[in-house]
Amino acid sequence: MRQTILSASVIAAMLFCAGVQAQSDPIKIGVVTPLSGTYAGIGQQVKWGLDLATKEINASGGIAGRKVELIYEDEEANPAVAVQKAEKLLQVSKVDFLTGTVNSGSTLAVGQVAERNNRLASTTVSFADSITADKCSPNMFRVNARAGMQSAALAEWLAKAKPNANVYYLGPDYEMGRSTVAAFKAAAEAKGAKTAGEVFAPLDNKDYSPYFGQIRGARPNVIYTSVAGNDTVRLMTQMAEFGLNRNLQVLGASGTVTSQNLAAIGKAADGFVTGVGYSTTIDNPINKKFVADFEAAYKAQPDLYGADSYGLMYFYKAAVEKAKSTDTDKVREAMRGLQWDTPQGTKTMRAGDHQAMQDMYAVQVNDGKFVIVGKVDADAAIGPDTCTKF
Amino acid sequence: MAEALEWMQYVLAPQVINGASIGVAVVLMALGLTIIFGLLDVINMAHGEFYAMGAYAAVILIAIGIPFWWALLLTPLFMAVVGYAVERTLIQRVFHSKDRHTLTLLLTFGLAIVLEDVLKIAFGANPMRIETPIGGSIEVFGLFFPNYRMFVMGMGSAIVAAVWIFIFRTRVGAIVRAAAFDRHMTASLGVPVNKVYALTFALGVALAGIAGVLLAPIYSVFPTMGRDFVLIAFSVVIIGGMGSIKGAVIAGLLLTQIQSISSLYISPVWSDPLLFGCMVLVLMWRPQGLFGRLGHG
Repeated sequence: MRQTILSASVIAAMLFCAGVQAQSDPIKIGVVTPLSGTYAGIGQQVKWGLDLATKEINASGGIAGRKVELIYEDEEANPAVAVQKAEKLLQVSKVDFLTGTVNSGSTLAVGQVAERNNRLASTTVSFADSITADKCSPNMFRVNARAGMQSAALAEWLAKAKPNANVYYLGPDYEMGRSTVAAFKAAAEAKGAKTAGEVFAPLDNKDYSPYFGQIRGARPNVIYTSVAGNDTVRLMTQMAEFGLNRNLQVLGASGTVTSQNLAAIGKAADGFVTGVGYSTTIDNPINKKFVADFEAAYKAQPDLYGADSYGLMYFYKAAVEKAKSTDTDKVREAMRGLQWDTPQGTKTMRAGDHQAMQDMYAVQVNDGKFVIVGKVDADAAIGPDTCTKF
Repeated sequence: MAEALEWMQYVLAPQVINGASIGVAVVLMALGLTIIFGLLDVINMAHGEFYAMGAYAAVILIAIGIPFWWALLLTPLFMAVVGYAVERTLIQRVFHSKDRHTLTLLLTFGLAIVLEDVLKIAFGANPMRIETPIGGSIEVFGLFFPNYRMFVMGMGSAIVAAVWIFIFRTRVGAIVRAAAFDRHMTASLGVPVNKVYALTFALGVALAGIAGVLLAPIYSVFPTMGRDFVLIAFSVVIIGGMGSIKGAVIAGLLLTQIQSISSLYISPVWSDPLLFGCMVLVLMWRPQGLFGRLGHG
C-alpha cells in the first residue's frame, strides 16, 4: 500500500516536471577529452578552460536562461575509446553538444559520431588541417587555429630570422603529426627554406635517441617538431642530453611547448619558437581578466588549449542565443559566420568550412616565458576554404 | 675522406654507442629469461611484468625518500624474494607434470596478465617518472653522451660479467650447470635440486628487476612497460639459442646494433619488424639458435 502511494507520487512529480522541462532543464555539454595518458596535461587545460567559462556563464544566468552542465568522459587520446565515449554521451546522457577531443584522429571520429546522431560537435585543440578541409563535416566546428594558420605565422618569422634555413622535420606518426609537418613544410618552402629530411615517431614514444642518428646525418640548422604533451618533454630533454640542440634553432607546432609542459622541460625549451593563436601576453581586457581568473582558480597559467576551450563556451552561448533554440539545424545556421569575443580578440567562424579565423602570433620561449616575436592578421593566416562537403 | 671520417665520428659513433647502451639493458632482460629456460626448461612469460615490478618498486622506494642508489640495490633483493616465492608456490605445482611446457607457459602468461592489471589498479595507467640520478652529459671527441646512459652501460656490463663469473667460475655455478645438464644425476649426488631451481628463478627475476630500475629514468614507468621490451628480449634469446648465456649476450648486442645502424637509413619504427625478421630467419636456418644450451656447451 505504502509502495503504491510512493510510486503514485513519483509519477505525479514526473508529470509535473515534464511540463516545465524544456525551459528549466540544464543544457548538457559532453566533454570527451584525455584525462589520462600522454595528452592528460592538455585535457587538464581543456577542462579548466571549460569549467571556468561555465562557472561564469551559470553565474550570469546561463545560456538563454538555462544552466549549463558539463559531463566529462576520458578518451585516453585514443580514437577508438573516444567513439565509445561520445556514443555514450549522446545516447545515454543525451547531451546537446560535444567537445573536448584533443587527438585529431579522435576529433575526426567523434565528428562522424555527431553526424550520425544529428548533433553538433566542436574541437578546441586538434590541429590537423583535414578536420576543416577535405575531411570536414557539417556537424563539426573548430574554434582553435589549425596547422596551416600556425605555420603561416611561424614561416614568416623563420624567413626573417634564419634566411638560410635547412629544416629537419620530426612529427608524431598520426593525422596531426603528418598534417602539421606538411603544412609547415609547404609554408616554409614557399618562403625559401630548404628541407633536410623528415621522420615520424609513434605517439607516446619513450626514447627519441634512435632518431637522432638520422637528424645528425642530415645536418639541419633548424628542427621543426609537432610532438606534444609529455612527448615533447622527453624529446627536448633527450635532445639536450645528447647535445643535439646546440647551434640549432628548434621550432614547433603550437601544442609542442605550452605552459602545461614548459616547467617539466625546463631550460631545454629556451629559444624555442612556435606559431600560435594564443599567448597570455595578448593585450586586451578579456584576456587580462581571463588570465587573472584562471590563475586565481587553478594556480596555473592558461595555454592555448585553456583559452580556446574557454572561448568555445561563449561561442556556443552566442550561437544558442542567436538561434533561440538548441535544435541542431538552427544552431548550425547561427554558428555559421558568427562573430564572438574571446581572450584572443574577436573570432569569426567561417561559414564555408567551419574554421574559426583569428590573428596568429610567433612566440618564443625566453627564460621560461613566452614572448611574442611576430604577428600575422587573421585574413592572411587562414588560407583557402577547401571544404566541399557542404 | 675527411668527410667520411667526420661522418663516422659525428653520425655513426653516437648511434653505435647509444645502441650499445640499449643493448646492455636488453641483455640483462634476456639473461634472466635464458637462465630460467636453460635450467628449469620454463619459458617465463611474466618476465616483462617482473621488469615492470622492479621499476615500480624503485618508484615506491624513491617516493618514501630512499635514494636511487639504495633502490638500485634493494629492488633486485626484493624481486629475488618475489621470484623465489613464485617458483616455490606456483611453478613447482605444475613443474613435475607431463605437460610441463604447456602448463608453465600458461601459468606464467596468466601471472603476467594478473600482474599487469594489479600494477594498473595500484598505480594508474599514467606514466611515472624517476628523476635521472646522474644528470648532465660528458663530451667525448666533440660528442655529447648523457652521463646516465653511460652509467647504465657500465653497470649493465658489470652485472653481465658478474653473472657470467657466477655461472661458469664458481662452485654454486657449477651446481646450477650440472642441474641443468642432468637433474637426476645431480640430485643423486646430494644436491637439493628444487632449491637450486627456486634460487635460479629468483636470480632471473632479480635481473629483470635490475633492468627495470636502470631503465626507469630513461623510459619512465608504466604498467605495460614490460610488454614491448620482453618481446625484444625473447627474440634475443631465440636468436642466441634458448638457454645459452653467451648467445643472449652476443645476440643482444648484435641485434641492438642492427636496430641502431639501420635507424640511420630507415625510420626507427622499422627496428622492431627488423628484429623479428632476423628471428624468423634464424628459426628457418638454425632453429636451435646461434649457440647451444646452458650446461650443454
